[in-house]
Amino acid sequence: MANVEKKLQVRNLRISFRTSNGKVQAVRGIDFDLNKGETLAIVGESGSGKSVTSKAILGILAGNAIVESGEIIYDGRDLLKITEEDFHHIRGDKIAMIFQDPMSSLNPIVRIGKQLTEAMILKGKARQRESRTLFNTYLKNLKNTMIAAGVDPSAAAANCKKFDTFEFKHIELESAYNKAHEAVVEAIDTAEPLIFELEKNQPSRDAAYRIKDIAKRAKESVNPYVVLDYDRERVFQLAGSISRSFKNANGDYSIIIAELRELTDIMKIAKDRPAPNFFRMGYYLKFSGQPLPNLPVDKLDEYMKDYLDRDFMLAFIADAESAVRYAAVMSQQKMRDAIASLSDKRAAFEREALDKKEAYAAYKALSADVMATIDPLATTRDSLTYTFSSSIKSELDTYFGAIKKNERAIKVHDRDQRKHDKIVNAGKNPGWEVADAAVTDLDMIKGNIARIIDRLIAHYNDVIVSIDRRDFRAETIGAIDYLMHNASGVVAKVTRRVAKDRAIKLMDEVGIAEPHKRYKQYPFEFSGGMRQRIVIAIALAANPDILICDEPTTALDVTIQSQILELINELKEERHLSVIFITHDLGVVANMADNVAVMYAGKIVEYGTSEDIFYRAAHPYTWALLSSMPDLDTNEKLESIPGTPPNMIYPPKGDAFAPRNKYAMAIDFERQPPMFKISETHSAATWLLHPDAPKVEPPKILRDRIERMSKGRKTDNGEK
Amino acid sequence: MEKSNEVLLKVEHLCQYFKIGPNVYTKAVDDVSFDIKKGEVFGLVGESGCGKTTTGRSIIKLYNITSGSVYFKGIRIAAGTKSYKDAIAKAKSDLKAGLIDSEECSRIIAENKAEIKAAIHDQKNCDRDYSLRQMTEIDQKYAPLMAGLAGPELAKVKKQYKSEIRRARKTKLVTKIQMIFQDPIASLDPRMTVREIIAEGLVIQGERNKQKLDEKVYEMLELVGLVREHATRYPHEFSGGQRQRIGVARSIIMNPDLIIADEPVSALDVSVQAQVINLLNELRDKFGLTLLFIAHDLSVVKYFSDRIGVMYYGKMVELADSDELFRNPLHPYTKSLLSAIPLPDPEYEKARKRIVYNPVAAHDYSVDKPSFREIKPGHFIMCNDAEFERYKAEIK
Repeated sequence: MANVEKKLQVRNLRISFRTSNGKVQAVRGIDFDLNKGETLAIVGESGSGKSVTSKAILGILAGNAIVESGEIIYDGRDLLKITEEDFHHIRGDKIAMIFQDPMSSLNPIVRIGKQLTEAMILKGKARQRESRTLFNTYLKNLKNTMIAAGVDPSAAAANCKKFDTFEFKHIELESAYNKAHEAVVEAIDTAEPLIFELEKNQPSRDAAYRIKDIAKRAKESVNPYVVLDYDRERVFQLAGSISRSFKNANGDYSIIIAELRELTDIMKIAKDRPAPNFFRMGYYLKFSGQPLPNLPVDKLDEYMKDYLDRDFMLAFIADAESAVRYAAVMSQQKMRDAIASLSDKRAAFEREALDKKEAYAAYKALSADVMATIDPLATTRDSLTYTFSSSIKSELDTYFGAIKKNERAIKVHDRDQRKHDKIVNAGKNPGWEVADAAVTDLDMIKGNIARIIDRLIAHYNDVIVSIDRRDFRAETIGAIDYLMHNASGVVAKVTRRVAKDRAIKLMDEVGIAEPHKRYKQYPFEFSGGMRQRIVIAIALAANPDILICDEPTTALDVTIQSQILELINELKEERHLSVIFITHDLGVVANMADNVAVMYAGKIVEYGTSEDIFYRAAHPYTWALLSSMPDLDTNEKLESIPGTPPNMIYPPKGDAFAPRNKYAMAIDFERQPPMFKISETHSAATWLLHPDAPKVEPPKILRDRIERMSKGRKTDNGEK
Repeated sequence: MEKSNEVLLKVEHLCQYFKIGPNVYTKAVDDVSFDIKKGEVFGLVGESGCGKTTTGRSIIKLYNITSGSVYFKGIRIAAGTKSYKDAIAKAKSDLKAGLIDSEECSRIIAENKAEIKAAIHDQKNCDRDYSLRQMTEIDQKYAPLMAGLAGPELAKVKKQYKSEIRRARKTKLVTKIQMIFQDPIASLDPRMTVREIIAEGLVIQGERNKQKLDEKVYEMLELVGLVREHATRYPHEFSGGQRQRIGVARSIIMNPDLIIADEPVSALDVSVQAQVINLLNELRDKFGLTLLFIAHDLSVVKYFSDRIGVMYYGKMVELADSDELFRNPLHPYTKSLLSAIPLPDPEYEKARKRIVYNPVAAHDYSVDKPSFREIKPGHFIMCNDAEFERYKAEIK
C-alpha cells in the first residue's frame, strides 16, 4: 500500500494544559497517518487524550492548551502553525467533526433547516472568493511563465485573456445544462415511486410535496440541450396541471397518473439525450461572432472542435506546455541550489550550542532558498517545501526558549530534591517523590532540525531524478483542468434556494423520512438517533475530506447505534472520506476501523490493523480493555482494570500503565518502553516484547474468546 | 447460584399512560406482566423510549400507575383503576346497545366499583398494612417473653420491644425496593457528604444513634470497595466509577430485597463498567439480592441476567431465560436487536448483517389480535394464533 494518498500526518504531537495545580500533559508525543478512504479508530479511557488530539486537528483546543511540539500536516500545511484566518478555510470545510452529544451540538432555538443551510451559504460565498483568487493568480503565473519561456508577450497576454473570457462562458453554459439535467433525473426519481403508490391507491402523506417538487423540477429542466423546443410547451402545461389534478383527485388518481406518465416519458428521453461539448461551444459563441450551425450534436461537436483547435487551442496548449516545462526546469535548478545551500548551512544547526544570530540568519536564508523552489504552475502543493520554513522556525523558537526554561526547571528540581533529602535524612517518609526536571531535550531539537533538512534534501533529489519521466503534456492538461475547476467554483453560487434543495437531499441521504416537513422543525422534535443524523448531515454539508467522529454513538442505544455506524460507513464509501473515529467501545471499533490506535495517558501504546488489535493484541492495556467487556458467551468473572489512570500533572517515569498492570516488570517502573515493531502494520509499546522479557500469555478470558472467534469463523467457512 | 421459586415481585397488566393533551395519552408502558423470583437477576432491554425506565419507576411507586397491579412480597403495593373504569364504561354502552340486560350491567358495575375501591385502598395503604403486619408479628414475639418476666428484666425487654415497635411503625414496604440510577453525577446531592448521602435513608427511617449510623456507613463503604476516609468527602471528589459505588452503597444500606438498577453502567468507561458489574455480582452472591437490571447494552445484560424481558414501544414482546433468548430468539424485534450487537471481532463484524424490524411488515394484527403466550416452559412471546404456530415450528 505504498501509493495510498496520506490525507493527514500527525508527528510527535505534544499538548499540555496549564492549570492552577500545574501542567497537565494530555498528549505526549504521538504519531499516526490517516490514509485516504480509511478509518482510524482511537481507543482509550476518558482522559487518555483522544479527544484532545482530535480537537488539535480541528484547531479548537481550549485556551489554556499549550502545543509543545509536533506537526499535523494536511494538504501541505501544518495545522498547528497556520493562522486562524487560514483555519476558516479548513475547519468544517475540509475537516468536519461529529460531536458526542447531539443535543448540545445543535442550537435549540433555530430550526433544523436554518442550521443545515447556514454554513453552506457562508462557505459558498467564501469558496467563490477563494476560487476567483486562485484562478486569477494561476492564470497570471501562467502568463508570466509563458513570457519567461520565450512566448511573445503580447500573444501570451492576449491568449490568457481570451481563455479567461470564454472559460467563464463555458462554465455558464455547462452549469445551466447540469442544472437542467439534474432536474430531469430528480423528477424521474421522484415521479416513479409516486406513480407506483398512486396506482396502488395509497399515496404517502407527503405526496403533495413531491408533486410540487416534480412540477418545479419539470420547469427547471427546460434547456436547449435537455428538453427540446417542441416539448417545452407540453412540459410547462403538465407542470402547471399536476398539482391541480392531485388536489381534485378525490380518490380517483387516473388523470394524475396519466399526466405523470407522460411527463416521465418526456423526461426519460431528455435524460439520455447526448450533450455537446460546452468548452468548445463557449469559445465558439464568444469569438466566432456567428450563431451555432444547425447540426446534430456529434456533427456540431466536430465542427466546433475544428474551429477551436484551428483558432486557439493548439497554440495555447503548446505555449502552456512550454511554460510548464520551463517552470519545472527552473524549479529543478532552484532545487539544486537549495540542496547546495541546505548542505552548506546545516552546520549552523549542528554546533554544540547553537548561536542565536547565526541560526536565525541561516534559517532566513534557507527558507528563502526553499520557497524559491516552488513551481508556480504545480497544481498540488509540495507539503515538505511549504512546511519547511514554519517547522524550522518553531524548532528554533523552542530551542532558544528552552535554554532559559531549562535553567529554571533544574533549579526547581534541585530545590525539591533537597527538600526530599532533608525529610529522608530526618528518618521520615515524605510520601511524595521528586518529579523529573521538566527539561526540554536540546539535542532532540537539533536532531529534529537535521531530520527536516535531510528529509527535504532526499525529497528534492527524488524530484530532480524523476524530471525526465514526467509527462508535460499531461501536466498541461491537468493545469487547464485546474483552471476550469476553479472557474466552476466561481460560477457555482449557493443561494438560499440551492442550499435548501441540497439540505433536503442531504437529509434524505442520511435517512430522515419526510425531509420537507422535518426541514422546518426544531431539534427537540427529533429523537436521539434522528438528531445525530442531523449533526452528521451538517458535518457533511460542506463536503469535507476528513470526518472526525468523537464518540458519535455513545449516547445512543444499540439499534440506533448500529444504524448510525452503517450510515457513516456508507457515506465513507460513497464520498471517499477519511474518518477518525474516537470511542471507548471496542465492539464499535471492530465494526468501523481499518486501523486502530490504543491510547493511554497521552501515548499511543498499540497501533495496528483491527485484526492485529483484536486477534493478536500485544499490550497489557489492550488485553485489559478487551477482557473487561463481556461478550455474549462470557460467563467467568470480568477482568476489571484496578485503579485509575495516572494524574498527568506528574506523569510516571516509566510505563504509565505499570501501576495498574499485573504483568508489570521492574523495568516498567523505570523506563518508558519504545514502540516495538511486531509486524509491518502492528506495533506496541511494552517491555514484554523485548527479546529478554519473559514470555507472558494474555489473560485466559481473552484467549478463550479469541479461540472461540477463530473456531466460529472456521465453522462458518466450512458451511459455505 | 441458589434460586428459590418464591416470587418476590409480580407485575400484572401494568399500564402507565401519560396525558399529553385533552384525551391524548402516551402509552409509555402498555399491559406488561412478568414476575421476578427471589435471588434472580431480571434484565429488561429495549431501545430508548420503549418504557424500560418507566416500568422500573412505576414499580418503585415514583409514578401512580394507570392500570394493573404490582405485588411485592405478596402485598399489592401499586394498583391502577383504568381497566375497571373501562369495564364500567363498556357495560354501560353494552346496556345501551342491548347486548346485556340491566341486571347484568349493574352487577358488573358493582363488581368493578368494589375493585376500584380496593385498588385505591391498596395504593394508599400498602405501607400501613405492612407495618401493621410487622407490629403484630412483634407483638406475638414479645407477648410470651414479657409474660414470664418481672422487674428490671421486664424493663429491659420492654425497652427493646418499644424500639422495635417504633421502627416497625415507620417501616415502609417500598423501602425494601431500592434504586440505582444511571447518571452517578446527577443522582448524588453535590452539597452532602458521602456519609450523609449513604445514611440518609436510615435517618429517614428513624435511626438516631450516630455511632451506629457511622458504623453502618463504614461497613457499606468497605463493602463497595471504598475506604472509611471517603465518608467525609463530597461527590465531586470522586471518579465516575467511585460515584456509582456510592450509589450502590446508598441503596444496599437499606437492606433491600429488590434493587432496580436503571442503566447503572452505561455512563461509565469500559474498564470502570467491569468494576461496577463485578461489584454488583459480588453483592448479589453475598446478600442474595434480587435485581431488576435495566440496560440497553445487550452483552452486559446477557452476562449479568438470569432472565431477560425484551420491550418494544411499551409492550413486552419476548421473555425467556437469557441463554434461551440468545439461542432461540423468536420475535422479529428480538432478532433485530440481537443482530445489532457489536462484538470485538472484526471478521464477524464485517460479515454482520443487521436485521431491520418493521412492525407493519412483520405482523398482520388486523384481524387476529396478539397476546402474550408461553411457547415453551419459561419462554413467553407476544404473538397471535398464526404466529404462534409458526414460532412453534421454528423452535423445533
